[in-house]
Amino acid sequence: MPSTLEKIRILGENSKYDICASTASSRTEKYPGLFGDPKKTIGNTVSAGICHSYTPDGRCMSLFKTLYTNKCIYNCKYCFSHSCKHKVSFTPEEYARTFMKLYSMNVVEGVFISSAICGSADQTTEEMLEAIRLLRFKYNFGGYIHFKCLPGVSQSLLKDAISMSDRISINSEASTKEFLSEIAEQKDFYNDIITRQRWLKQIRIKHNEEALKAMNDLKADNKLEEQEKMIKERRSDGYKKFRWDGAPILNCGQTTQFVVGAAEEETDLDLLKRIDWGYRKIDLRRAYFSSFIPIKGTPLGSKQAAPLEREHRLYQSDWLMRIYHFKLKDLEGVVTEEGNLPKGDPKIHLAKEYFKHHKRVNPNEASYQELLRVPGIGPISAKRIINLRTQKFVFKRRQDLRAVGVVLKRADPYILIDGHSQTTLHHFSNEDYMETQIKEFYC
Amino acid sequence: MTKKRDPLEVIGCAKGYSHEELIKNIHRHSRYSPEIERQIITIPEAILRNSGTQMAKKINKMMREVFTEAYRAKQFTRTEINNRGVLFGIVSLKHNVLDLVLVYFHERWPQCVICLYNEQTRETWIIDEKGAIRQFHQPLKKVVENISRDRRIVPYFEDIQFSGEEIFETLYKSQFIAERENKQYFKKMIPDCCFELPGMKNGVEKRFRNKKINEFL
Ligand code: SF4
Repeated sequence: MPSTLEKIRILGENSKYDICASTASSRTEKYPGLFGDPKKTIGNTVSAGICHSYTPDGRCMSLFKTLYTNKCIYNCKYCFSHSCKHKVSFTPEEYARTFMKLYSMNVVEGVFISSAICGSADQTTEEMLEAIRLLRFKYNFGGYIHFKCLPGVSQSLLKDAISMSDRISINSEASTKEFLSEIAEQKDFYNDIITRQRWLKQIRIKHNEEALKAMNDLKADNKLEEQEKMIKERRSDGYKKFRWDGAPILNCGQTTQFVVGAAEEETDLDLLKRIDWGYRKIDLRRAYFSSFIPIKGTPLGSKQAAPLEREHRLYQSDWLMRIYHFKLKDLEGVVTEEGNLPKGDPKIHLAKEYFKHHKRVNPNEASYQELLRVPGIGPISAKRIINLRTQKFVFKRRQDLRAVGVVLKRADPYILIDGHSQTTLHHFSNEDYMETQIKEFYC
Repeated sequence: MTKKRDPLEVIGCAKGYSHEELIKNIHRHSRYSPEIERQIITIPEAILRNSGTQMAKKINKMMREVFTEAYRAKQFTRTEINNRGVLFGIVSLKHNVLDLVLVYFHERWPQCVICLYNEQTRETWIIDEKGAIRQFHQPLKKVVENISRDRRIVPYFEDIQFSGEEIFETLYKSQFIAERENKQYFKKMIPDCCFELPGMKNGVEKRFRNKKINEFL
């Protein structure tokens, strides 16, 4: 019988390529105590997300991240399950106790529970849920839980998982059915993954509508004190028993993860198309990318690792779509012929493309969207610029822009202040720019 | 800039601290003097926020030191809990921020009494379930014993009475991906000075990082 320590070593190692970020763990001020009276529950989620330690690769170790079991009925080609000879599982109590110990030491911030598929997806999920239930209701843990759903899990278990977690994710692994079957032939892309992602969205929307309606009715009737009673009642029936109602569920939304570079011909554009679909159709909160790293003893053990830089570019592009609201077709305009993102910052490539057909931006006139096109201007500085303009402030010097947080060395080639732009060394190495300058001079 | 505006007015970036924040917190700094507080009142906020004078620069620096210390203490204080719901640990704080750290732990463990011993002042401060803070000029062990005496055993705290040090070390090592090693980033996240904090001195991170070369061979 392996010890808990041995299990942590094996299951921690097996889960290390799963990516998570607990810094997204904030709960709104309005609904601070999702699991009852915050004065009676242990743990809370903080908006900034404190990381309690960092691994030597610089990632924070803020979550207790291990698999629940590594016994798997599947055999995805990139996965450790081929090579790992020691098959172990936690028991729910063991898992919950170990986490609470680490939490009491102030070395972790929350839970990230994931697993291989032992027996069936439902069987394993039941056990994972039991561990989470113990945390929530035996140990009164009210802090952050990220629950990784297994492909093919049933709807009723998804509801249970949603009711107890802050964030849920289902790994897509690949962008299309074809690419997934290339690396994980037993997984059914549409049935096991896409359908489950759609369910997550539906369950969340339905619950939140009902819960908010109930709360607003109470407020309107001045019956807030009745809320307590309602909470107690609801706790005694099925799925709602775990949660005081009136709180939106799954406040950190659903996420997904892709293995980048495992499927032979999958391009960056394929991945971007899939996340674009995710943001539009299933309320995806964000996507994670994990560069493929070959593991010895697996069918892909001799394949070359995907460059970390590729992962980085994908994160940058995802950021542009998610935060800057760039359209997929903008990014399509800068990918290479093979469909991959070019070297260098995607925003610079987008700007070069955009300013071929548009004039340089005057911060005193440009719209918010135009400002965002300029490298070195992000959503915060763009908002500040607009805000100051409404107060009749006129930008006359580059320093004024610097004061609102614009990174001038990046923005300079694309902005006009008082009818002039700052010529930089960058201009002299930019042939297109020099050509237009010469033309302008002679015409 | 329009003519009426103060040339140093913050036009966007919220740098520095407001008057209110400064007056509320500057006394926490170990080199605080009433003269500094008087200065804060006289300097206009725009100048303070922009570190527009030497004095404003100094004040902002002092505030940063205070909040950095509190933040690091929250992040890197290693604690233990006994079966009677007393959570305790050691900190080393130069500035007067122990109350901020206590409140942080109180929010996490509202049913526990939190005891933190400050190595610098040799005092133990506690915060109880109601959020009341008291201070004792006694060593941590004694304070924890005294408080625990009157409290009953809590079964789920009893369940986690085992050593977690080895568990954390195992988990910590298991998460390391050699291909992604990034010493520079690690150093940024845990600066060397943080390894001097109690709990980090011989902590897992330090042990793992300082492996001797022959351990790799
Ligand atoms: S489902 Fe696939 S990726 Fe997940 S543990 Fe099993 S074999 Fe590995």
